[in-house]
Amino acid sequence: MLEIKNLHVKLEEEEKQILKGVDLTVEAGKVHAIMGPNGSGKSTLSYVLSGRDGYEVTEGSATLDGADLLEMEPEERAAAGLFLAFQYPVEIPGVGNMTFLRTAVNAQRKARGEEELSAADFLKLVREKAKSLKIDADMLKRPVNVGFSGGEKKRNEILQMAMLEPKMCILDETDSGLDVDAMKLVAEGVNALRDEGRGFLVITHYQRLLDHIKPDVVHIMADGRIVKTGGPELALEVENNGYTDILAEVN
Amino acid sequence: MRQLLIGDKCGAHTVPYIEVKNNSSRVEHEATTSKVDEDQLFYCRQRGMDEEEAVALVVNGFCKDVLQALPMEFAMEAQQLVAISLEGSVG
Ligand SMILES: Nc1ncnc2c1ncn2[C@@H]1O[C@H](COP(=O)(O)OP(=O)(O)OP(=O)(O)O)[C@@H](O)[C@H]1O
Ligand SMILES: [Mg+2]
Repeated sequence: MLEIKNLHVKLEEEEKQILKGVDLTVEAGKVHAIMGPNGSGKSTLSYVLSGRDGYEVTEGSATLDGADLLEMEPEERAAAGLFLAFQYPVEIPGVGNMTFLRTAVNAQRKARGEEELSAADFLKLVREKAKSLKIDADMLKRPVNVGFSGGEKKRNEILQMAMLEPKMCILDETDSGLDVDAMKLVAEGVNALRDEGRGFLVITHYQRLLDHIKPDVVHIMADGRIVKTGGPELALEVENNGYTDILAEVN
Repeated sequence: MRQLLIGDKCGAHTVPYIEVKNNSSRVEHEATTSKVDEDQLFYCRQRGMDEEEAVALVVNGFCKDVLQALPMEFAMEAQQLVAISLEGSVG
């Protein structure tokens, strides 16, 4: 589904190489996790895949179901089914959460040549999804992420994901800042979306989240590369011993 | 006075607003102009809105947020001004 080959990325503004040959394939129906030390390039990878400005791809490719992601505008990637749950969700003053959701859902439907959701259908759907994430009516009315607690912002990301039903979901540290109960809600939200046609790339620092969202494959990223790939046991190894042994073994 | 620049081509279409929530007593005389926030635009586009739609949403929100902080009589007048000056600059 998501196929990244030999991806090299530098900053546009300075001569700083951040990704140095990332190879990664996420198959449909699978959950892949990426762990790795701070600053290893995990968020950069998610930004480059989703089309944020400021990066230059100097080598390599990234495709979603065969389509060249790097050639597309961010909104085209979104309509093609790529979703990023942001490490730092953005606040948009004056724009109601519900309005934002509805605009996004309908923009994607339009881009795919589908009809817009009626106000009634939309409302029903939002209420249902919000309820399962324990997001109350007040949070739906408030401006997008403005004044939300850290955990509320992350749950709001999952609500957007649930509404948009993307086929490739990238979650960048969605577990950080969540209390134990919120973590369970988020994991349930993700698990509810797991199905044969959908892939997940879950960036995390902690085994905790992976207790609830059982990954099929775990990758370790260090200094702009995937340096080790294994099963769920790899996450346990990181949890227990940190990265020192793994990195020493690789070098 | 702070302003918001809408689009690359339309520097003239600025939305002036007065920082009324500012709790410092210092009044800034120089006008500062900021572009529509790139992170906000990218967030909207990642969710599927095209650039135009994203700008319209963010700018509308910005205005609403600002106008809400104004006393009623100003707000009414300002709202009309904004509607006029935004006409044709986006969309
Ligand atoms: N716009 C930028 N300007 C300068 N440096 C940048 C920029 N974007 C990324 N970097 C640098 O690139 C490296 C990788 O950053 P990135 O945010 O991708 O790391 P990460 O693996 O997500 O880390 P964390 O686990 O802390 O979230 C870091 O050294 C960071 O400082
Ligand atoms: Mg990061």
